[in-house]
Amino acid sequence: MTALLEIKDLHANVGNKEILKGLNLTIKAGEVHAIMGPNGCGKSTLSAVITGNPAYTVTAGEILFKGEDLLKMTPDERANKGVFLAFQHPIELPGVGLAQFLKAALNAKRKANGEEPIDAVQFMKYMNVRATALGISNEMLKRPVNVGFSGGEKKRLETFQMAMLEPDFCILDEMDSGLDVDALKVVGQGVSVMREPKRSFMIITHHDDLLQYVTPDQVSIMRDGQIIKTGGPELVEQVEASGYDNF
Amino acid sequence: MTTSNPFLIHSQENVVIKNSDDKSWVFEVGKDGNLWADFLQMTDDLKVVVNLQDVNARCQINCAYLTNKNNKINIDIKVLHKSKNTTSEQHIKGIATDESRVSFKGIIEIPKSSQKCDGRQHHRGLVLSPKAKIEATPQLEIWADDVVCSHGSAIGPLDVNQLFYLQTRGLSESEAKKILLSSFLGDLMPEEFSDTIQQWMDENA
Ligand SMILES: Nc1ncnc2c1ncn2[C@@H]1O[C@H](COP(=O)(O)OP(=O)(O)OP(=O)(O)O)[C@@H](O)[C@H]1O
Ligand SMILES: [Mg+2]
Repeated sequence: MTALLEIKDLHANVGNKEILKGLNLTIKAGEVHAIMGPNGCGKSTLSAVITGNPAYTVTAGEILFKGEDLLKMTPDERANKGVFLAFQHPIELPGVGLAQFLKAALNAKRKANGEEPIDAVQFMKYMNVRATALGISNEMLKRPVNVGFSGGEKKRLETFQMAMLEPDFCILDEMDSGLDVDALKVVGQGVSVMREPKRSFMIITHHDDLLQYVTPDQVSIMRDGQIIKTGGPELVEQVEASGYDNF
Repeated sequence: MTTSNPFLIHSQENVVIKNSDDKSWVFEVGKDGNLWADFLQMTDDLKVVVNLQDVNARCQINCAYLTNKNNKINIDIKVLHKSKNTTSEQHIKGIATDESRVSFKGIIEIPKSSQKCDGRQHHRGLVLSPKAKIEATPQLEIWADDVVCSHGSAIGPLDVNQLFYLQTRGLSESEAKKILLSSFLGDLMPEEFSDTIQQWMDENA
């Protein structure tokens, strides 16, 4: 397997505060890589930096995605290259209908790939199959993006967006927090069916809930802005059993 | 003919237009009368005075402004509840970019004798560039006590988190802005103005 994402000695600040302090991480094509670490260690910051959130400044290091310098790209260029983030806290877009939004996003990707915009009927079919699989009703598709949805519904909608955009690299930031058992199953299966040799996942989590549906190939432990240990799925059990203090 | 400051009068039952030169309007709404008018301001000032003369007179004034370059515009809307049992609504929303300036003044006046009136005024402004400026001065002169009145004004920039979220889904900054700007205006303006609005968005987002 070749590396899809390579992060080398990454340092990043928010304001004057350094959050990522020399982080190294490699994720191969097809790999499911779990990231676990205590609150505030910089997991969401890492996902923000990978996706190009302008609130964070990279002060040193590099990120290569498919061999290209990701840090030189705008957030939309990264997305159209195949980077997707399911947000820990999805953003509400009042007045922007979900279906309309997804169509615009899908067409942006097609445009970036030199393809024609998707035809309206084809789009409806494409969307309905994925919505049904994730228990998203027609009524939900008509509502504005994330507005008035419960925490668990928002997570389900992020998974749905991921299924719609079929990215090569999926970052799931605490997808499993706030989900009831049924929703966890829907999301877990939704992620698991997307697993394929060319698609990688970075699953940020505190528990083994989601990982029971999507067994990770690699697990990295993050503390204070660095990856301090990388190993196999057995690390998840160690975290579950005795927390992060023993790493 | 295309005008840079279109308007549309949807309803004018029992309404007398006392004066109009497209920039300055005086309306008198009589008994059971209904005025509903939309204005879109881009380069010109607008002055609207509505006199609600008799019982059950009502008005709805919708105004959007879209300003760019170094244009400066003033929007003055004044509703006088001259009779009891009258109702007014003003909805004003706008976007200012480049070095443009907008001054919005909205007045609702309800004298002591005009009981059981309902007057509402809502303004929201989006400032797209550091040198653009929107000023809002809502003025409520409510002397009657048995009335319903609401007003509000909020001015701010585009939400950076919303913009970023849209970009992470593959939309360019300009496409993302256009989506947020259209959702901001919502359906305040009629279908008839949509080409004008779309053109402004294409040139300025
Ligand atoms: N935009 C911001 N402004 C100020 N501080 C921030 C910002 N983003 C992150 N931080 C700080 O950076 C540190 C790391 O935050 P981050 O959200 O990356 O942690 P996390 O590992 O995702 O935590 P959690 O498990 O609670 O989600 C925290 O101390 C946080 O307060
Ligand atoms: Mg986090």
